[in-house]
Amino acid sequence: MNIKASFFLAATSIKRGNKGTLAMTILIMTLVYINLVFISSVFGGIVEAINTQSINNQYGNIVIEPEIDERYIKNRKAMELINTIPGIVGSSAHYVDNPIIRYDNRSDGMDVKSGRWVLKSITPSDEKTVTDIHKSMIEGAFLEEADRYEIMIGKEVAGGHGGDLDHLSLGVSVGDKIDVNFSNGITREYTVKGIFSTKSTQVDQMVFVTKKEMESVLDVHNWASEVLVKIEKLGSEDEYIDKIRGLGLYNEDIKKWSDLMGFTSSASSSFTMISLILGAIGTIVAGVTIFIIIFVSVVNNRKQIGILKAIGMRESTIILYFVLQALFYGIIGVMFGAAIILFGIRPYFISNPLDFPVGWVSLKVTFDIIRISNISLIVAALIGGFLPAYRGARESILKSIWG
Amino acid sequence: MIIEVKKLKKTYEGEVPTHALKDINFGVKKGEFVALMGRSGSGKSTLLHQLGLLDTPTAGKVIMDGIDIVSFSEKEKSEFRLKKLGYVFQSYALLPELTALESVYLPLMISNIDKGEYIKKASKMLKKVGLGDRLHHLPKEMSGGEQQRVAIARALVNDPMILFADEPTANLDSESSKVILKLFKELNKDIGQTIIMVTHEPDDEKYVDRVIWLKDGLIKK
Repeated sequence: MNIKASFFLAATSIKRGNKGTLAMTILIMTLVYINLVFISSVFGGIVEAINTQSINNQYGNIVIEPEIDERYIKNRKAMELINTIPGIVGSSAHYVDNPIIRYDNRSDGMDVKSGRWVLKSITPSDEKTVTDIHKSMIEGAFLEEADRYEIMIGKEVAGGHGGDLDHLSLGVSVGDKIDVNFSNGITREYTVKGIFSTKSTQVDQMVFVTKKEMESVLDVHNWASEVLVKIEKLGSEDEYIDKIRGLGLYNEDIKKWSDLMGFTSSASSSFTMISLILGAIGTIVAGVTIFIIIFVSVVNNRKQIGILKAIGMRESTIILYFVLQALFYGIIGVMFGAAIILFGIRPYFISNPLDFPVGWVSLKVTFDIIRISNISLIVAALIGGFLPAYRGARESILKSIWG
Repeated sequence: MIIEVKKLKKTYEGEVPTHALKDINFGVKKGEFVALMGRSGSGKSTLLHQLGLLDTPTAGKVIMDGIDIVSFSEKEKSEFRLKKLGYVFQSYALLPELTALESVYLPLMISNIDKGEYIKKASKMLKKVGLGDRLHHLPKEMSGGEQQRVAIARALVNDPMILFADEPTANLDSESSKVILKLFKELNKDIGQTIIMVTHEPDDEKYVDRVIWLKDGLIKK
């Protein structure tokens, strides 16, 4: 094989060939590349939005639950020390109950709506260090430390805010009074202080009261049904779980957010799978496109291939000549495509994220997506270029020259 | 003898096999200018293709410079074509994107000769065929006769042992044809270039040393 001759012929062919065809080929390669990166990045963005929602509104990074057969975590000292671990942003202890909540619209027992929802207690200042619910208030205000008979409810419980489960909601607004019948039989009346909407249907079906109020209902002090922990560095959860256990929480059930995702985890996996399938289809389309481009070039240059063989050029040198052309189209497609994605499309979607049910979705253009797309397009170019070139170069000299 | 052809046969298989060459025996001396002539379908081009390693005979031997070339592998054939043989085709056969100079130095580049040397040698060869002022012209910028002279320069640039020409003047007007044939004659006389040329023009006989007449796949005695 004579690489120099292959390179010379490929470069000359690109330089002096039809400029319109060259521009069209580069445009196709660029669009194929953008398609590969864009689809993967949108799905990556959706998966990230789902994960971010779960971390920021529901679980934090780590969830500590009581040991088996226990209702509460009782190691007060350990819970207090969690925030002293370097790298932990905050922790929030919750009591959790599943009460029946009732709203008598006309206060005459004739128009009563009720349902069973998850109620959690929070220390507002702690909760703000772990979740973003305080940033998601759509009516009224977030709870404060001193609140006792105030309750904060999700939009799916309140109703009237375009939730998915409006037909099950209470139909209340800020200022309305609702009765909460706790599982221990105690019933208390609360005034709706605030309504939140987090874009997570699960979270929007929750209601919150203060820790002080809940402890008076449950008659417990400084225990917790669960503790949510937020860390600085996503992905280091296992390291922090070990550190938290080291505080004395040896038998408690400590999980990462991803272990608790449930159906959202399968949705996230499905999006990843769809992204992979579409990526594979995109790569095949790229390969077929390059195959067609090089096939047409080989057919148009059939006679020239015969001449090159007749003057003593080896088949491998001729194949490389076409493969180098395909590689050029692939590399230019990657360069132009990456530039358009990184300097055009990505900044646009960061400024104008897409409104999805799971949250605001931007493009998640990762190094991995770029790397895999680059490799995919270049491998597709190599294969798509090689096959027609091999076929053309293998043809007999006489058949190539005279048909 | 620079070429010895012994009992050469070529049959194209099909529903009805075509015996293009039946039993060819002849020799060519070094420095000879030989024309292969005959009517259409006589087998003259088929014979040239077998001699020039562009096709593989069905049977027989082609000995060039003492080597039987029929049994060569594809790789050996490529190497032999590059180093020992030169071709001039009927239809110029130039790559449209290469200038005259690039077309001529391509075989030298394939032979891994230094850039400076191959440019010098190719320029010299183009000057020799009268195209010293056309070095950087593309085929579309040259006449048919000029393009054929570029093809001749390309065929000669590697100092081939034998130059094969397959109806080199078939697509040219009479003036251009004369120029090409005179050039062949000069090359044959001046540097002793062995040339085997297929032609159907009886007038071309005056330029060659010997004519081998073919009829129905056999040499006419």
